[in-house]
Amino acid sequence: MRTTIKRTPLNRWHRDQRANMANFGGYDMPLWYSSVKDEHLAVLNGAGVFDTSHMAAVTVVGSEAADLLQYCFTNDLDGCMGPSKKPLSPGRCVYGAFLDEHGQTIDDAIVFFLEADSYMVVINAGMGGVVADHLRHNLGRRNATVTDLSDRLGKMDIQGPAAARILSEVLVDPKAVLTGMPYFSFKGHFDPTSPLADAVRLDDGAPILLSRTGYTGEFGFEIFLAPDRIQALWEHLLAAGHSFDIKPCGLAARDSLRAGAVLPLSHQDIGHWPFINHPWPFALPYNADQTGFTKDFIGRAALEEQTDFSFTQVFVGKDLRKISAGEGSRVIDADGQTIGTVLTCATDMGVGCYDGIIFSVASPNKPEGFTAKGLCCGFVKVDRKLSLNEHVDIADNRRKITVTIVDDVRPHRTARKPMAGMI
Amino acid sequence: MKAISELNLPEDVRYTDDHEWAKKNGDVVRMGISDYAQDQLGDIVFVELPDVGSSFDKGEEFGTVESVKAVSELYMPIGGEVTAINDALADEPERVNSDPYNGGWMLEIKASDPAELDALKSKADYLEVLKG
Repeated sequence: MRTTIKRTPLNRWHRDQRANMANFGGYDMPLWYSSVKDEHLAVLNGAGVFDTSHMAAVTVVGSEAADLLQYCFTNDLDGCMGPSKKPLSPGRCVYGAFLDEHGQTIDDAIVFFLEADSYMVVINAGMGGVVADHLRHNLGRRNATVTDLSDRLGKMDIQGPAAARILSEVLVDPKAVLTGMPYFSFKGHFDPTSPLADAVRLDDGAPILLSRTGYTGEFGFEIFLAPDRIQALWEHLLAAGHSFDIKPCGLAARDSLRAGAVLPLSHQDIGHWPFINHPWPFALPYNADQTGFTKDFIGRAALEEQTDFSFTQVFVGKDLRKISAGEGSRVIDADGQTIGTVLTCATDMGVGCYDGIIFSVASPNKPEGFTAKGLCCGFVKVDRKLSLNEHVDIADNRRKITVTIVDDVRPHRTARKPMAGMI
Repeated sequence: MKAISELNLPEDVRYTDDHEWAKKNGDVVRMGISDYAQDQLGDIVFVELPDVGSSFDKGEEFGTVESVKAVSELYMPIGGEVTAINDALADEPERVNSDPYNGGWMLEIKASDPAELDALKSKADYLEVLKG
């Protein structure tokens, strides 16, 4: 069988910029343009744009669409919003995962509640067909239609504290659009025939779906639009963001930013093992006292009766030095026992340690003269639960470094900042 | 990424298939990685070098260069004893990116067999390697 590598609508642009390109999820994607470090720091200090058209989306429409998603998706659409666990409402989206009957991850996803009986599910590169098939396979007698939008939708992200100010330059009536847009909310639609499309338009008239989400831990937006509109928007945002030092960012900066923000990479940090005992319990439908689940879903029984007691935990290193994660990596405890493997090991170049405390270049309380030298960080999967602040060694076939188990890495992230202070 | 025609490949250094360079500098041979190598690696954030006085054979691993994305091994273009390392790289590893043949040099060695240097690739031969 011959497989051809796919290209996003911005591929020519990346190639013209001489980006360092690589295959990611079957797509020819930029790893970095000129400097990963500068791209990473741009998102912490100003803004960066990311081509994310390789990601897939599936729509689920029909009077029983919600019921199908409730059965297939881990989060509880009837109780996932805020501390009081309110039902997901139109214009809001929520993170979770699709599991198989063994409780293992098919993919992670964000479910967007578009309007009554209409949802969009955003998943990872190349997963549109798999997730669409999974939903159809579990449809039963429910009235719902599943449509795979893979390669029919353009997507780009703008992330960083200046994102809203830059975006304001390219939107029709930006104040009306951005005011009152909390984290994990969205407005508009990319389909010009949708009644939602008028809510957000670019100044060239193109309708977009604008979502206050992202994969960097920083303030910003994901933008869904017609593929033939993306290059104009991309170039327009780069021009509008010039005074904020906006940078086009590749997948390498995306990876280091998300690692420092403790966000998982699907098929690497979550995968063919039970989706439980990890740093993302908010993706599961736990009841108030975390003793059980609030709804039935595929994989529930396996998670409740699990026999694989492995734990995914966050670590941070002493300096920026890394090891190669994945196959061949080891986690070694103080007794010299190998207790697991390293899932992700990346360097967040925007942070540094000072007197035992981690600061970011964006920390308002950073010590005078602080320079971010970078810290290695990521996730380990171990066969016993490690305590916070416990030291373990992680090793590949070349080097061994001592790391500390933590619950967070990069401080003072901006993702949840109130919109009012960001416009 | 630079096109091959944009690479800085001086005539007066010799190259290896692993993208290191070596150049006679008085009694010693200075070495580092080529412009092609630094461009492929991206931002270099750490360079791990051996102690002065240690000895390596040609082709042996002498250290690592760490970019934001990956850790890569460094291999001896020729064998010899390390007489100096570039201490400036401890604080400014980015010199390897900005100035790979001068400020970004890595080691100086006393060659165990000077003929090994002559056997390395000229710029023209190295260009053939890069063109595949």
